[in-house]
Amino acid sequence: MWARLRSRARALLGRRRFEDDLADELAFHLQARTDHWIAQGMNRSEAARRARLEFGSPDKHAEACRESRGLRLVDELAADLRYGLRQLRRAPAFTLVATLTLALAIGANAAIFSLVDAVLIKTLPVAEPQQLRQLSWVAARNDTTSLWNGIWYNGNSTLRGPSELAGTSFSYLTCDAIRRNTISFSNVLCLGHIEQVNLSVGGRAMLGRGQLVSGNFFRGLPLGVHIGRPIGPDDDRTGQAPVAVLGYGFWERALGGDAGVLGRSLTVNGVAVTIVGVAARGFTGLQPGEVTDVFLPLVPLQPAFYSEPDMLASQRYWNWLVVGRLKAGAEPEHARQESQQLLRQELRARPTSATPLDMPRLEIAEFDHGFDRLRESFGKPLRVLGLIVGAVLLIACANIAGLLLTRASARQREFATRLSLGAGRGRLVRQVLTESALLVGLGGAVGLALAFALRHALPAALNESPDPLMLDMSADVWLIVYSGAICAFTALACGVLPALRAPRVGLRPAIARAASANTTAAPRFWTGKALVAVQVTISLLLLVGAGLFVRTLSNLRGEALGFRADHLLLFEMNGTLNGYKDDRLQRLYDEVYAGVAAIPGVTSASVSRWGLLSGNATSDGVTVPGKKDAIHTAVHNVFPGYFKTMGVALLLGRDIGDTDTATAPLVAVVNRSLTVKAFGAEPAVGRTLQLGDKTVTIVGLAADVRFDDIRAQPQPTIYIPFRQHGQHVATFALRTAANPADLIPVVEKAVARIAPEVPPYNVRTQEQQIEDAVRRERLFASLVSGFAVVGALLACLGIYGTLAYSVARRTSEIGLRVALGARSASVVWLILRESVWPVVAGLVAGLAGALALTRLIESMLFGLTPQDPITYGIAAALLLASAIVAAWIPSRRAAQLDPMTVLRCE
Amino acid sequence: MPPRAELLPGTLDLLILKAVSLGPLHGYGVLLRIEQITDGALLVEQGALYPALFRLEHKGWLSSEWGVSDNNRRAKFYQLTAAGRRQLKSEAEGWQRLVDAMASALGARREEA
Repeated sequence: MWARLRSRARALLGRRRFEDDLADELAFHLQARTDHWIAQGMNRSEAARRARLEFGSPDKHAEACRESRGLRLVDELAADLRYGLRQLRRAPAFTLVATLTLALAIGANAAIFSLVDAVLIKTLPVAEPQQLRQLSWVAARNDTTSLWNGIWYNGNSTLRGPSELAGTSFSYLTCDAIRRNTISFSNVLCLGHIEQVNLSVGGRAMLGRGQLVSGNFFRGLPLGVHIGRPIGPDDDRTGQAPVAVLGYGFWERALGGDAGVLGRSLTVNGVAVTIVGVAARGFTGLQPGEVTDVFLPLVPLQPAFYSEPDMLASQRYWNWLVVGRLKAGAEPEHARQESQQLLRQELRARPTSATPLDMPRLEIAEFDHGFDRLRESFGKPLRVLGLIVGAVLLIACANIAGLLLTRASARQREFATRLSLGAGRGRLVRQVLTESALLVGLGGAVGLALAFALRHALPAALNESPDPLMLDMSADVWLIVYSGAICAFTALACGVLPALRAPRVGLRPAIARAASANTTAAPRFWTGKALVAVQVTISLLLLVGAGLFVRTLSNLRGEALGFRADHLLLFEMNGTLNGYKDDRLQRLYDEVYAGVAAIPGVTSASVSRWGLLSGNATSDGVTVPGKKDAIHTAVHNVFPGYFKTMGVALLLGRDIGDTDTATAPLVAVVNRSLTVKAFGAEPAVGRTLQLGDKTVTIVGLAADVRFDDIRAQPQPTIYIPFRQHGQHVATFALRTAANPADLIPVVEKAVARIAPEVPPYNVRTQEQQIEDAVRRERLFASLVSGFAVVGALLACLGIYGTLAYSVARRTSEIGLRVALGARSASVVWLILRESVWPVVAGLVAGLAGALALTRLIESMLFGLTPQDPITYGIAAALLLASAIVAAWIPSRRAAQLDPMTVLRCE
Repeated sequence: MPPRAELLPGTLDLLILKAVSLGPLHGYGVLLRIEQITDGALLVEQGALYPALFRLEHKGWLSSEWGVSDNNRRAKFYQLTAAGRRQLKSEAEGWQRLVDAMASALGARREEA
């Protein structure tokens, strides 16, 4: 095997040398044989003649030698390629259209696959990632409020069916118990959430992401360091001098990749730590899409992240994520049972005041991709995008196949000539395949180059959160294999039909017919028409999809929000990261509030925990005194002037005012949905509600507002004074007289004057916020529309090409008809009619396909069903109209043929 | 000179391997060696020898290098590789089995059948 490759490669690479040697070797033989015959007594010329006769044709034997080395195939391929290139150069318009079509299709597929690869395929860059497992719990959910009574829970928790709740956070004691007693895991890591932290190094402050990790993090993953040393078990003890390992990206970005940072000090949320290492290059953290800037030992640095004092010693705080590495050969199910037993033992040994989760069941999930938030939220859109670009590829293939088929038919005379000159039929098939492969090669190269150039723009386009989505978009084996497979598939799909057709040329008739310009009954050209039908089908699918997404976007934009989104400027601040707490924190926010409200051009200002339509909300159970059932309610902490600033209608009672201070009686404003749920038709103002352990008096009634999500119906909401229920993070909202974006520099300067060390972040207008919230819909609407338009254009091109060919083929027939008195309308119809059936069949198949396929995107639509008749109607009508135009042009040309010219050509 | 027989298909490769196994040879030398070891009983078409040599080298059974012939001309010498030696052994055995089987079949008499 290797010997052959080597021998062929040597022959190919040293082609000149190979030929010289071959000639020398054969010459030597002839010379030696001539000498032989001279020795036998012949004269020189007779001996040479004899030797040549015995030897046979040197050219023939030399060719056989080349073939032995596998060179003949290569020679023919080279000839085919040269010929193919000449053919393509001769039809530049065809080549350009085909190359662009293929570039678009292949590029789009490679681009989407690179995303699929980054989100769904790539695993954590650690050894044997498939051995990692993450623990989660599932508990019965009898009542949301009592479930959480007394438990401080931080992390994801999701409803599992109607009666169960699942989550991934555990108490530190539980994690520690599993870590110390496990038999199935070689290491159990205890991890904090990836949190926003305020980092300051060398006098520069910046916002970053930090994660608390247990001392076995680096050994257990396992993860190496680029420089310095990892965090070890000794660093993870109370009283240890705090250390940190930086993420490679942060080290390079913020510290210029300076190796001298080892041993230097870094401040994390106000606590000084010593940098001891930089994590291995290529490791961005455990959450794909997010970069972790700094890893810190859990025990010494927990106070810098969470203010709860006994957080590690109490069963009350469920904050920690548990990831284990299975020992080689260990059964995951054993590990699960073992961990479950340890969890239950721990819960029984230290019961908290309120029994927490009623003895939860443990589950164990693969962790080779890290935390899978990204996979959950991107899986569906990526699948839909994959379908869309797949459809584009199919259209492109059908289109190129159609064009090549037409060309192949037009080249029948050439093929016939070559056949009669002795070319093998297989050789002709190879020739046509080589030409389509050449086209695909050109298109693929352009497409892949485009996809590569745009690869960093892709994650941003799909991203929904305000933070940048940092994906590992580097090419890996999968991407290369996939791109190659796509190109090979395309080349085959485009080339097979024309290639099989090419040599099916009857020798004599083809030449005769070609010479007499196609007078006899032409072949029906079914394949070409079938390809047109396929293109129409897929185009219609794309058009319907585009219509659904465009209408979804316009529905979302037209949705009544319940507040005025124009002329609003928003920004957030988090003073706790700089050590502000309680009263000091409240004073900071009060000062900034007063400061920005006084800026000229700001008509009113307010503050709330969450901005509107930010995708976030805090929820709690609210009960009416005397009733048992809690109402699931969004809780909104607001400053005075909130309703006026946001433009929310206050229906009854009063706004939260300056008098509602921390020491004043607890008050609240409720929205209409909550009133209806809590009191039915009875008046709400003046009554009280139970919110957690606090009783609040209702002072006002507000209209319903789309709170966290445009798509969700307004839910019961309670507004309570920020000053009576302090929050760490504040979102400031300013209503401005003029364009709010113009005020950004002024506002930033004003904030910097009041609190120079606390930076405002997420500075944006409310309208930008909404555009961000519908970013995915916008992406889909524009992307699918773009592809649909291209698809429809290609389908029209296909129809045009097929008919134009048909007109060319039937020229003399048409000329005869006109000469015999056919009216031009009947000639137009004669040609037009050829395209009717493929288009109608394609439309019908497309409508049926759309009905079946659009159900997949039902959850991505808003305000319309996947069977929306208007969308279907418009899409079909648009496509039909363009098809008629595309068919009309060649038909018209046929009708305008001058019969005399045509018949004279005969 | 005994009457010459046409080569059976596939036997040329075996003959070449055998010829070269006796020592490195150039192409013309292979021809002479085959004539010599078959007492001139087999007819080798001279030109066909070279594609066969190239094929055997391509398969890794022969290796070649340029050297100088007896009468001081530049010539390409072929020599058996280790893989070639194994191939020769197995082909020779196969050939022997065939010859035995054919001989036994053709020597069979009525009673034995």
